[in-house]
Amino acid sequence: MAEVTPMEMIAYTGSRVLQDESIVFVGTGLPIIAAMHAQYTHAPNLLMIYEAGSLAPMLEMGMPLSVGDTRAARKATYLKGLCGVFELTQRGYSDFAFIGGAQIDMYGNICSTIQGEDYRQPQVRFPGSGGAGAMAANCEKTIAIMALEKRRFVKQLDFVTSIGYGDGSPDYRDKAGVMGSGPYRVITNQALFGFDEETRRMKLLEVMPGVTTEEIQDLVGFELIIPSDVKEMKLPTEEDLTLLRDKIDAEGYFLKRQVKK
Amino acid sequence: MADFKSKKMTVPEAVRELIKDGDMMTFSGFTIWRRPMAMVHEIVRQGKKDLHLVEVNSGTHGEVLIGAGCVKVWESCFMGHELFGKIGANLNRKLKNGEIIVEDYSHVQMVMRLAAGSMGLPFLPTYCALGTDILNPEYDVLGKKGMRDGSNPRIPTEKFNYQEDPFYGERAVLNVPAARPNVCIAHVQQVGDEGTVKVMGQRYSDNEAMKAADKLIVVAEEIVPEEVIRQDPTANLIPHYLVDAIVEQPWGAHPTGCFGYYEVDGAFIRDFYSKTKTQEGFDAWAEEWILGCGDYNEYLYKLGFNRLDSLRANAAMNYSLRVKRGAR
Repeated sequence: MAEVTPMEMIAYTGSRVLQDESIVFVGTGLPIIAAMHAQYTHAPNLLMIYEAGSLAPMLEMGMPLSVGDTRAARKATYLKGLCGVFELTQRGYSDFAFIGGAQIDMYGNICSTIQGEDYRQPQVRFPGSGGAGAMAANCEKTIAIMALEKRRFVKQLDFVTSIGYGDGSPDYRDKAGVMGSGPYRVITNQALFGFDEETRRMKLLEVMPGVTTEEIQDLVGFELIIPSDVKEMKLPTEEDLTLLRDKIDAEGYFLKRQVKK
Repeated sequence: MADFKSKKMTVPEAVRELIKDGDMMTFSGFTIWRRPMAMVHEIVRQGKKDLHLVEVNSGTHGEVLIGAGCVKVWESCFMGHELFGKIGANLNRKLKNGEIIVEDYSHVQMVMRLAAGSMGLPFLPTYCALGTDILNPEYDVLGKKGMRDGSNPRIPTEKFNYQEDPFYGERAVLNVPAARPNVCIAHVQQVGDEGTVKVMGQRYSDNEAMKAADKLIVVAEEIVPEEVIRQDPTANLIPHYLVDAIVEQPWGAHPTGCFGYYEVDGAFIRDFYSKTKTQEGFDAWAEEWILGCGDYNEYLYKLGFNRLDSLRANAAMNYSLRVKRGAR
């Protein structure tokens, strides 16, 4: 079997985390690929929502390259624009938010706005909130994907774009007035994380075969909870890889991207 | 009718007559779909200044305006070219240099701001994107700059506020102020010759954007007889009397996509993104593709038949069967 690339590993793990007969709010790229893979395998009745306004399209003509794409609207069950999808989420009808970001902290709060100390003149301006802030607030569970790098897994965010467990206090989300239960999984190319129920801190669940828990901790800027029963991440089968490479992203728009060293 | 004033205009006329320096503006579309690029090019060509963009999300059009120095304030939630450029390189540079004022909201907060404007309300409540630094008073940029003093009637005196639920006594709501742009520029597939606007495919936040603005300029791939556009009223989004100008400009959203007419030109956007990371790079790009072209049709001739033809949507499928979608 050809070697599994980091992007393929993220997409496959994302698929594994999603459940059948649920509703997932997905962003462009790896979240869509993960959700498509889940639909083709264990979750045929998974419904995708796109923030541009499309709900549960049939992606028979190929993966949309952005959520506003013509292909993202194909045979949708509902196509009502931005208000139309976010009002359903605010009404409580979305199970998973599937979002990316530039920085994440130990309580699953996410920054996708800036990097740098001065918000008004930052070192880097990222795209910004987009739909992520609303998704993290009002979907039941948040799944984040991110490359595992120390500059991304940080003690202190430069800007809180999407709420996680805040400062970790038990009623933080309630007090903020948000709906969902909050951060659920963080998917990277080398490890899968969850959150500890007691402390709401990020917890290591699985690592890539051959990678040690110490190596993972070294790539994270805060102290992880590392239980004694950390598992190995499941690798995609030949069939899974064929689906990802030949059917879902045959042109390699997203899966052939490299993770920067 | 003797006093019937036709709303038909050319792209240069619409920019000259309906857009002023300092205007607050918003747009149709979503990131890299149905952006009014012909108008954006002309705004750059005519050198409009100090524009204040208020938009749900931005994209290639915003990057062109910002790179060209037309924009003073940008209030929005997202800047990027999706797969074809991960951030807004021009916004990034201008912000780092302190040459632009950025006010962050979240996606839904911006939609609700425009929705309030579109309904003639001063604000709307929402539960979206609570618990974020967007709602941290430290990061109320217009407020910190003293621009919320009421002197500009289009800038609200607060970025947001909270209110107890007055009716059910449940969770407090977040109120966001109406957005009240001077102008909305929309690019759509078809407009009737009296102005009735038809939008095919995804409608994004077009309804809110078009109704919130005082003036509405509609650029269409095709102007069609009003008689024809009324045969399928469910496809119509905006009544003709809200429309101030109609402009026919085929391919007027290129390189962004237009459902049923053409795909996103991903290779063109990626090239723009990579070439405009520096101001010199932007200036050279603008010289080649905007200033060096007398008008938008010249830009289209320069792109050439082959390129445009490969993007053209199949009439049955609404997308191109031939384009390699922005492959590397």
